[in-house]
Amino acid sequence: MSAAVSVRGLRMKYGAAEVLRGVDLEIRRGEIFTLLGPNGAGKTTTIEILEGFRNRSAGEVSVLGTDPERGGDAWRAKLGIVLQNWRDHNKWGVREIIAHLSEFYDDPHDPDGLLAAVGLTGQAGQQVGRLSGGQRRRLDVALGIVGRPELLFLDEPTTGFDPEARQEFHLLLEKLAADDGMTVLLTTHDLVEAEKLAHRTAILTGGRITACGTPAELARAVQAQSRVRWLEDGRERTLTTDDPSRAAWELHERFGGPVPGLEIRRPSLEESYLELIGRAA
Amino acid sequence: MNGRALRIGIKRGWAEHMQLLRNRRELTTTLVGTAGIFALLLLWIGDEQVKGTDVSSGMFMTSGFLAFTVFSNALMTLPMALAADREEGTLLRLRTVPGGISAYLVGRAVTLLCQIAVQSALILATGVVVGGAPLPHDWPTLLWVLLLGTVAVVPLGAAIGCLLPGPKAAGAVLGLPMMGLMVTSGVMLPVTYMPEAVQWIAQAFPLYWQGLGLRAAFLPDAMLAAEIGGSWRLPYVAAVLAAWAVAGMLLAPVLVRRVTRRESGSRLAERQLAAQSS
Ligand SMILES: Nc1ncnc2c1ncn2[C@@H]1O[C@H](COP(=O)(O)OP(=O)(O)OP(=O)(O)O)[C@@H](O)[C@H]1O
Ligand SMILES: [Mg+2]
Repeated sequence: MSAAVSVRGLRMKYGAAEVLRGVDLEIRRGEIFTLLGPNGAGKTTTIEILEGFRNRSAGEVSVLGTDPERGGDAWRAKLGIVLQNWRDHNKWGVREIIAHLSEFYDDPHDPDGLLAAVGLTGQAGQQVGRLSGGQRRRLDVALGIVGRPELLFLDEPTTGFDPEARQEFHLLLEKLAADDGMTVLLTTHDLVEAEKLAHRTAILTGGRITACGTPAELARAVQAQSRVRWLEDGRERTLTTDDPSRAAWELHERFGGPVPGLEIRRPSLEESYLELIGRAA
Repeated sequence: MNGRALRIGIKRGWAEHMQLLRNRRELTTTLVGTAGIFALLLLWIGDEQVKGTDVSSGMFMTSGFLAFTVFSNALMTLPMALAADREEGTLLRLRTVPGGISAYLVGRAVTLLCQIAVQSALILATGVVVGGAPLPHDWPTLLWVLLLGTVAVVPLGAAIGCLLPGPKAAGAVLGLPMMGLMVTSGVMLPVTYMPEAVQWIAQAFPLYWQGLGLRAAFLPDAMLAAEIGGSWRLPYVAAVLAAWAVAGMLLAPVLVRRVTRRESGSRLAERQLAAQSS
């Protein structure tokens, strides 16, 4: 089967500012894929182009085999969309809006089952506008998946979630991906979340994908250089290297024994990510 | 438009209508705002007579308020609702759903028609009970004028709603012109009280013609002494309202399509940010 999402040489300009400068992406069917990047990197822009809400400046894009700029209702019925900020349908009831939107699809989830799955059974009769931030976000997720989409887009879905809700949300997504074979593309700022949830992650910085792969591959790819410090002739010396173990061995040889004040610091994945973002910016 | 979108749209419109009826504040505004003010006016000047005729002001005002209800719902309430739906992201939500925009538009129309129907009934009842107005003597004319008058202004209201930046601007931009038309269009005061230049301007807008058509259905011919040309001019009523309807129907789909196509999450976020900081 073809890839769920395939993007080649995607470019996007807002006026003179080029936000995307040749993005390449390939998301497989059934995969949970995260797009990671700092504020303003172009995550929302990318995802909106894939959703067919924004026209690109250049490049080839195929989402479930269709160019989003030409996607009709049949194509749209296969997508689920959770945007970064929803405030809509405030006067509707929680269950009422889920039931209403489910009617647009051929084989929707049962509204009550869905309420239970996102933990909103107690709020079924409540007005949408009175939900707390995290509850509202859960409703958004429910509305995103009500039509049993083949492909679900989530733009920063877990902002405003407490740790427990976040955990439940991760489990829900994993279940949906495993049971229904749903493909998920989500954006986040949170490296830890990406590492935990995603089969694969791409990092978007400076308008390009600067790293992409499984958590382990990513860790290797972004691993920043380690810093080796020691004392020599009463002064502190430092050295940055990809291979700190080798550097330490060479130092021991040179000193013919223990190296005074030897210190090796291997940066964490998070520090490495921050450095990668810094390098690209 | 497919059958499913139409069916969901009708249900949606009805659901939103019921939400308005259940909302206590909304209900109070409607009751006090339309029926209450109207009843007070009737009690105050309802017994006077329209100058030069033996028609009571109560009867005259009943037809006038009816015309104004249709007009203000279509050209004020509808644009504000559209602008609010855009700002809140309701329009965008329906864009994410197959057939959602069609269902949305159907729903808006249904809600509007329900509201017009409820308010019209309320005004008619108030006019009859408080103002002692007789029921219309010409029901067919009443119905076609109400329907054609609605069709004349609803697409126009939708078009205006698409052009407005937001719901707050809607109130500010639309409020004064609406008041102006209300005073000059002969629905609150006979149009022949106005200077001739104002009469000409009033006749360019659909409110005057709708008011005239409704008066034809309600009032005795004695009222003709205070009408332009001394006639009900019903063929003109039909022609002018139809012309406005056609103009609106040509304009509205273009604008609605433009607005719904452009809607996206980041645009929404931008607008919400702008609204917060202003
Ligand atoms: N409609 C627009 N017109 C002009 N510039 C825009 C528009 N939308 C986004 N941008 C700019 O494009 C860049 C990328 O924005 P985008 O919203 O895609 O970033 P993001 O990665 O989603 O950021 P965040 O993490 O803050 O959500 C930003 O610099 C933004 O200011
Ligand atoms: Mg974003």
